[in-house]
Amino acid sequence: MDFWTIGNKAGLLFYVIAVTFFGDSAYSPWLTLAYLGYLILNMTIAIFKRKHPKQVFILLSAACTVFCAIRLDPLFTLLLPVNIYEFVALHAKRRRYALAIMAFPAFFVPPETLPIYVLTTFLSFLLYAGNRVHMDRLKAYEEERESLRENIQRLTRSLNENNEYIRQSEYTIKLEERNRLSQRIHDEVGHAMAGALIQMEASKRLLVSDSDKASELLQNAISISKEGLERIRLTLKNLKPRSEELGINRLRLFVDELSAKHAIDAKLTYDGDLDVITPIQWKIIQQNATEAATNTLKYGQATEINFEVTVLNTVIKAVVADNGRGASKVVKGIGIVGMEERAATAGGTVIVDGTRGFSVTTLLPYGSRA
Amino acid sequence: MSNVLEIRNLTKKFGDFIAVDNMSLAVREGEIFGFLGANGAGKSTTINMISSLLRNTKGEIILLGKNIAKSAKFAKSNIGVVPQDLAIYEDMTAYENVSFFAGLYGLRGAQLKERTVEALEFVGLGDKHKAYPKNFSGGMKRRLNIACAIAHRPKLIIMDEPTVGIDPQSRNYILNSVRKLNDMGCTIIYTSHYMEEVEEICTRIAIVDHGKIIAEGTKEQLKAIITDTKDIWIGIKSEDEIKVEPLKQIPGVASVRVEEHMVMINSKAEVNNLNLIIQQLIRDRAEIRSVEEQAPNLETVFLTLTGRNLRD
Repeated sequence: MDFWTIGNKAGLLFYVIAVTFFGDSAYSPWLTLAYLGYLILNMTIAIFKRKHPKQVFILLSAACTVFCAIRLDPLFTLLLPVNIYEFVALHAKRRRYALAIMAFPAFFVPPETLPIYVLTTFLSFLLYAGNRVHMDRLKAYEEERESLRENIQRLTRSLNENNEYIRQSEYTIKLEERNRLSQRIHDEVGHAMAGALIQMEASKRLLVSDSDKASELLQNAISISKEGLERIRLTLKNLKPRSEELGINRLRLFVDELSAKHAIDAKLTYDGDLDVITPIQWKIIQQNATEAATNTLKYGQATEINFEVTVLNTVIKAVVADNGRGASKVVKGIGIVGMEERAATAGGTVIVDGTRGFSVTTLLPYGSRA
Repeated sequence: MSNVLEIRNLTKKFGDFIAVDNMSLAVREGEIFGFLGANGAGKSTTINMISSLLRNTKGEIILLGKNIAKSAKFAKSNIGVVPQDLAIYEDMTAYENVSFFAGLYGLRGAQLKERTVEALEFVGLGDKHKAYPKNFSGGMKRRLNIACAIAHRPKLIIMDEPTVGIDPQSRNYILNSVRKLNDMGCTIIYTSHYMEEVEEICTRIAIVDHGKIIAEGTKEQLKAIITDTKDIWIGIKSEDEIKVEPLKQIPGVASVRVEEHMVMINSKAEVNNLNLIIQQLIRDRAEIRSVEEQAPNLETVFLTLTGRNLRD
């Protein structure tokens, strides 16, 4: 901004000097002194950073131009508007009156310099006003950029933290699971196997002396081993979760939590053979349900929200519907687009409807059993 | 079979509102392709984009292998549109109307006359050349509207709700002419929110909702989305003599329930076993009073998928 002002002043001063030089007015050493004085005063303005010294020098410069205009050369008035604008511009609030104040001296300017005075005033004002607009915009961009940068930093940090957390919890869960597994195998199978071993040892010793007893012991060992084997099978089977239970139970948990934490009545219904839903499809259903529920809580003003998972003949239908105010025309935000993209990864579609409350229907195809 | 029309990622936005949302589909040669959807689902917007009345926001429309954005004239001469709102001049005779529209498509001279007469004949207005449409019934106006769209013998005919607000007789006439046009080698796109019509004449159907195609296929495929079984309810005089086991042996039958004056059979939808079932019942000396088949229709498909009725 300062550079523009200095440039403007330099241009005007040069014009004033040139007019005097080529014109027919008498040369006077006082003029040179006046030019130099103006130059000094205006350079000083730019040196100061604080407002008040700036103002003092601007006023001095303005006074100088007025004095010179009256005593030496009326053309000096041309330098006045810039100083006036500078002075006014220091008060952000008064800026809009700048043009009026700048035009004010026109009443005292001799008629022959009036047109050129008005022209200078107008052009200077345009220059500054345009400049100001662009500077403001630049500042706004700068601020936005800064806040976005901060956002990115924050998000990156939380992403890193989350990744670390996930890694850690994965590790912990693995450890826990391994512990649990070894504990159960030890408790349920280990003892049985030890018992069987002892009986087999005993039967080996009795094999020659008392074959009847030995065979009895061996039979015992066999049945214990059989039982142990069965136990292993059972243990492994019990440990393995059924994927269908994982899915619907997770959803139920989510729905229950929703009911408990928020002032909304949440219900879950399901129908059809849930076994056909793959874990990936459950993930999509769960994520879309979460997203839709968040939207309902944020904007819907609903008192009821219904979750529904239905397995039809070739399609899985997951609906989240509320009884809120809905939307006559649905405008797609990032949330809805995200749901559509998730569904699209599994070849499905999402229907968003706002005519009766708000409802989000996710349709996912699956290989029909037929 | 080659594709007459191919739409890729077609999108139309009106401000923030998305009327057609990333729609892709292909219409093959010789099909009667149905667009089924509630009012405001985006059917007409799609049609208007295909017939270049509206500019699309995104995506491309390819007609007979050419992008219509680049070859507008080619597209116009190969598409005949029967718009939802009647587009005929009330104070021109029927003949002049058809001749005018055919002229717009570039027909001239003897050919123009011949095709105009032919088109009027086709829609059953052969004796009304000199009559003015303002004296026509709704159905006749519709038929004239169709004649205007087909006189230049387009490869693809688009009919946007051609049966709205007309009498049943005209409606049948129009449905029949759609079939006839199809037999003559025209590919037809037919939009409607009357499920029965679409089910009756269309070879392939797309269900549209909120600007998206939510399901597509033959009517059997669409129904199979919901279920692959049907219920057959047979009313009888007395259920005393009915044996359940032989009925269960009939191919396709999944379950049999006998109630008072009623046998309820659940069977695979694609197996045609009604004959066998009835024969068996007659063998059991049942006196059949009524037979009712409860199979899902397209309305049920729409209702199940979207939770809404077609005509809300």
